[in-house]
Amino acid sequence: MFARLVGESFVRNPRRKILTAAALVVGMAVTTATLTVALEVGDRMAREFRSLGANLLVTPQSDTLPLEIGGVDYRPVDEGAYLNEADLGKLKTIFWRHNILGFTPFLDVPAYLGMGKAESETDVTLIGTWYEHEVPVPDGTIFKTGVSVTHPWWKVRGQWFHDGANECVVGAQLAARYPGGVSVGQTLYVARDEISSYVQPLVVTGIVSTGDADDDAVLVPLSVAQDISNHRGQFRQLFVSALTKPEDTLASRDPKSLTPAEYDRWFCSPYISSIAFQIKQVLPGTEVRAIRKVADSEGRILSRVSTLLWTVTIAALVAAGLAVGATAAATVLERRKEIGIMKAIGATNTIVGGIFLVEQLLLAIAGGAIGFVFGAALARVLGESVFGTPAPPRILLLPVVLGLAAMVALVGSLIPLRRAAHIDPAPILRGE
Amino acid sequence: MFGRLLWKMLRGNRGRLAVALLSIASGAAVISALLNLQFDIERKLTQEFRTLGANIVIAPQSGAQTVDLANAGGAAASVPVLMNESAVEAGLEANRTPDVVASAPFLFIVARAKDEPVVTAGTWLDQARKLNPTWKIEGNWITSREDETQCLVGRNVAQRFQTGPGGALTLSYLGRSAQFHVAGVIDSGAAEDSQIFVNLPVAWKLAGTPGGIGLWQLSVSGTGKSIGEYAARLASALPGYDVRPIRQVTEAEGNLLNRTRLLIASMVVLILVLTALCVLATMAALAMERRVDVGLMKALGGSISRIVGLFLAEVSVLGAAGGLIGCVAGILLAQWMGQRVFGTAITPRWDIFPLTIAIMVGVALTGALPLRLLGKVKPAVILRGE
Repeated sequence: MFARLVGESFVRNPRRKILTAAALVVGMAVTTATLTVALEVGDRMAREFRSLGANLLVTPQSDTLPLEIGGVDYRPVDEGAYLNEADLGKLKTIFWRHNILGFTPFLDVPAYLGMGKAESETDVTLIGTWYEHEVPVPDGTIFKTGVSVTHPWWKVRGQWFHDGANECVVGAQLAARYPGGVSVGQTLYVARDEISSYVQPLVVTGIVSTGDADDDAVLVPLSVAQDISNHRGQFRQLFVSALTKPEDTLASRDPKSLTPAEYDRWFCSPYISSIAFQIKQVLPGTEVRAIRKVADSEGRILSRVSTLLWTVTIAALVAAGLAVGATAAATVLERRKEIGIMKAIGATNTIVGGIFLVEQLLLAIAGGAIGFVFGAALARVLGESVFGTPAPPRILLLPVVLGLAAMVALVGSLIPLRRAAHIDPAPILRGE
Repeated sequence: MFGRLLWKMLRGNRGRLAVALLSIASGAAVISALLNLQFDIERKLTQEFRTLGANIVIAPQSGAQTVDLANAGGAAASVPVLMNESAVEAGLEANRTPDVVASAPFLFIVARAKDEPVVTAGTWLDQARKLNPTWKIEGNWITSREDETQCLVGRNVAQRFQTGPGGALTLSYLGRSAQFHVAGVIDSGAAEDSQIFVNLPVAWKLAGTPGGIGLWQLSVSGTGKSIGEYAARLASALPGYDVRPIRQVTEAEGNLLNRTRLLIASMVVLILVLTALCVLATMAALAMERRVDVGLMKALGGSISRIVGLFLAEVSVLGAAGGLIGCVAGILLAQWMGQRVFGTAITPRWDIFPLTIAIMVGVALTGALPLRLLGKVKPAVILRGE
């Protein structure tokens, strides 16, 4: 009997149901889309932040003070400590190896530049680095990294040098002030100093503009800088770009003061401090520091953006709830007459309420499921337009969305139903 | 007559109208709060980005050497090219905008401490702090630009010379020397950890180059475009110098700002649609309810255009009143959101309110579209109570 009543109500007057169902579909589609994007956004934004470049700096522990001004180290080559290039593959063996997006070693060498003619000779800094270098990882794989990852804002006119080749890329300012100019395809001769007999010819493959002091240097493959400085297989500084999680109260505490359980949690979270700690473990004798300017800003802005998004998501949820509730309320109110008749022929308030609630519940499940499908599609479009890659649908959200839909539909009909309980059948039947 | 009828209608069915009003008001509140947030977000986020430090630098033209490396050991000495501090300052002063968060000149020299070369930066220490808000300081910062007896040292320098806040340090440069008290230790995680910071006049005395600076750093808030425009303006005001935005910072800023704005904007549009739908449903229900009234009016001889006009007036009043109440609630909501997200209140934008009210009236009128059907209402049917 109960089931027949509910079924009849759907068959007899489908138009009324469509309004509530439509509101549910739209509301739940928006809910699904915002929740999907909100869950995704932390990861996506963290990746966007990597356009700021490296956030960790690795230097030798027992080192003389670097004479670094504007990104160029002016120390003579025979001073200070060096790190070994061969160890770098180990970076991809740490616990958070997948969060290491890239790393680039640097070796700055003061040198003497000429084109074979005395009048165009000048002092210059050679910056040895990788562009796209293949690093062998101990587990047998190859990891490709270099300034293309850690310094994405460096733009080159022409081409980057090939790794290991006798080629170079000249900083834009140096190229501009160099007597006679420097053009792509030309050969430059560099030597360690004026009297050195070791002269290295380098073919210019491009002009680089970095917006920094590196614009006044010559960028060469790391191996070339190593040969000229006579420090084979070594470098001075390593820039690491890692995906991290904004610091919270746990991350800001000293790891030594943590309990074993807290320590495990800290070690297994991609905080910048725990990644720095893990890098230090595989590269002993180094100092690993978070580049505060980048790391702190990233953490602050990331947490701001995600709070912002969650606030907006809550607003979207409230708006969806209001929309569904309002339609549900409207349909119940429209059916006062029906309620009056049911009551007149002996239905109790419980039965009337039950019929309406079951109807709303069925609508909520159907509307919620359809809404979820539309929402997943909407999230794809949103992800595509905002981050360039679609946000994958999350099946885990389906029960959440269905539950929300049921809750909203029920709460929306509760208030008018309570008023319906007070309906007196007599005036309704009289047509008042 | 029209006014009296309208008044009676609004007073007559207070319960139902209250529901409609509530729905419109809450819709308006959410919309106005979000629009407020959306317009303010750019300003708020660009302020956050200032923790990234300087984003415009002024340097001598074509990357001339600004540091005398005689002390660095090894490298051949070359005569540094310096800028005139007062000339640059005059140029900056003439193009001053409130967007400039911090600006400071820098003179880098390689001085010697305990006979070891160390990079020493002379600057305006009060501005340098604002330029680098993420630096962690152990000890005290030097707040006065005139203080010539104290210095700040980087973390590595403090370690190397085994000194700290309260310690002493002697710097020498080509025969000249100066004594300093260490006021604080800087932890920046970058090159500054290996540098010493003093006030500019001391650096001039030490280097023997009064008035010369190697670099000027500015931290300017704004979008990538406005920063680029400001840099171009400075470049034309300071001919002979090289003014350039720091690409690492400006490019990332623009990138992130665009994405965040797009994200929030698409959310706001979704919520707008939802809220409009909610108001629409309520208004449609209200209009249908009015069928009985219409039948009665028609039986009494009211013309259909007059009756529809009456209902439209009712709906507009509802929309406007709900919009107004909602806007007030929206200001509070925006304040709360601003406090939650950015820790500071959001400046209310008054131009949003007429916009919100107009949207609400428009939505309410759309919701009253079923009123068109009122023309078809047959008074006899209604009066029979069917």
